[in-house]
Amino acid sequence: MNRLIARLATAMLLALLLGAPQAGAQNKIQVGCTATSDCASAMIAVDEGLFKKQGLAVEMVLIGINSNIPAAILSGSVQIGGPTSTVFLQAADGGLDLVAVAGASVMGPTSNGNIAAFVRNGITIKEPKDFIGKKVGAPGLGAFLHVLFVKWLVEKGVDPKKVNFIEVTFPTQMDIIKSGGVDAVLTAEPFVTRMTNAGTGTVGARYGAELNRSEPIIFYAASRDWAEKNPETLRKFRAAIAEGATIVNETPEKAWAAIAKFTKTPIDLVRAAPPNRSDPTLKPEQLAWWIDIMASQKMLQGKLDLTKLILN
Amino acid sequence: MPHWLKPLVLPVALIVLFEAWARATDLQSDSLAPPSAIGRALIEALGSGELWIATRDTLASTLAGLLIGSAIGLMLGIALGLSSGFNRLMDVTIEAIRPIPSIALLPIALIAFGFGYRMEIVIVAFACIWPMLILSRAAIGGIEPRLLEVARLLRLTSADRVRKIVIPAALPRIFVAFRLAAGIALIVAVTCEIAINPIGLGASIMAAQQALRADLMLAYLIWIGAIGFALNAGLLLAQNSLFGRAALAEIAR
Repeated sequence: MNRLIARLATAMLLALLLGAPQAGAQNKIQVGCTATSDCASAMIAVDEGLFKKQGLAVEMVLIGINSNIPAAILSGSVQIGGPTSTVFLQAADGGLDLVAVAGASVMGPTSNGNIAAFVRNGITIKEPKDFIGKKVGAPGLGAFLHVLFVKWLVEKGVDPKKVNFIEVTFPTQMDIIKSGGVDAVLTAEPFVTRMTNAGTGTVGARYGAELNRSEPIIFYAASRDWAEKNPETLRKFRAAIAEGATIVNETPEKAWAAIAKFTKTPIDLVRAAPPNRSDPTLKPEQLAWWIDIMASQKMLQGKLDLTKLILN
Repeated sequence: MPHWLKPLVLPVALIVLFEAWARATDLQSDSLAPPSAIGRALIEALGSGELWIATRDTLASTLAGLLIGSAIGLMLGIALGLSSGFNRLMDVTIEAIRPIPSIALLPIALIAFGFGYRMEIVIVAFACIWPMLILSRAAIGGIEPRLLEVARLLRLTSADRVRKIVIPAALPRIFVAFRLAAGIALIVAVTCEIAINPIGLGASIMAAQQALRADLMLAYLIWIGAIGFALNAGLLLAQNSLFGRAALAEIAR
């Protein structure tokens, strides 16, 4: 019995030791991203050996929910993460000491065209005010697509408070639209095409294309402490990301393959939509637009200092 | 019909009906898949190393959390069961902490421990402490008073009293508590992986869902069910072989 207890104790100790995060060696880093095409520049950089060329060993970590990324960065589970602009700014506003270190994806004609408010059969949207009183499913409340949609409503003179928003994640959108659980969902490709082909409804508004913005969707961020202690690692990271971004924009075939590999999504599904445009640069004015609309939607409590949010 | 076949009739009929419905309606869903596709996905997953790695991760966290949580719960349960003064002292504290859902601690655990086994083990352990504590305290309270009188007459030391009288007398009921905690441990571990932790079977379910592989997602779900079933069956077997008729008496009680 004693021997059994000793063995169990050893097994537990081993499990604990194995689970301990590795101390961040300068050239070995983990990059945490969600299963979207936004971190394609990092995925390509892994696949094409661009990080290795810089002397960096990078492991990509698939994170389920974007809003977990700031906590993952601060706990040291990943050194660099790919939060959306809204998640990053809310985290920074909440007092988490994060800095943006490089650009990942930006809005552009392609990604804006991919965004839509998809309405179920039986609902007709002729103009923005038709959304009043409707139940609209957003992949995350206060997340990228939701904030953009609210901005679009405001620009069109519709009070967003008169629209009922609930949370409906991407993979469940088709089934919920089909069952009539919501009147519309805020979504993007490849879901728009899938839902259209399945005959579950129609596109109610192309609000991404109408807003026609070019600000960042997702960028690479780190904790200020780590970023300031590892300038050389960051320099190498940025160099590889810049090279990766060029490949993503010029050869989508390679990007699709890298995305399918990292997100474990069937390649046909990934190829259904072009990857969002990669842009490795990051400028304070790009974040200023996000801060403005988030402040107008009362998503930020304090005043964020733009000069401190980006570390170039 | 052989008696072992009877319980299988309903589930098999339901599976066949679901398959027929999925085919008849040409099921297009990102959340559901016909049983035949789920079966194929399960076979494919069993053939790939990923399912086994995920299973190892989930089981390691489940078992480590279960053992740590149960040990803490048992020690506290014995102490509380034996000392009414200590019980009164701790009552409010325990009742204040116990209702906190362990999953609600995830954001704090993520900051404190990061991704990986440690965070999950802590969350699972927290969830396992309470059933063990409450049931072992009740088990100690239910010990035949004459046994404790004998211990006093024999002038056993406190340690001997616990080792020779209290634990053997309460062990069958403590083991039932352990089985209960084991079920909770697996549920909490998988939930933890679905919500935050990017390892194990829960994270694999999320990855399959986000990749729109409903068949694979449901295959993982069935696999988790099978693991839960095996875990319970194993513990039941251990209970019967360790305690024999005493265990049966506890179940009947």
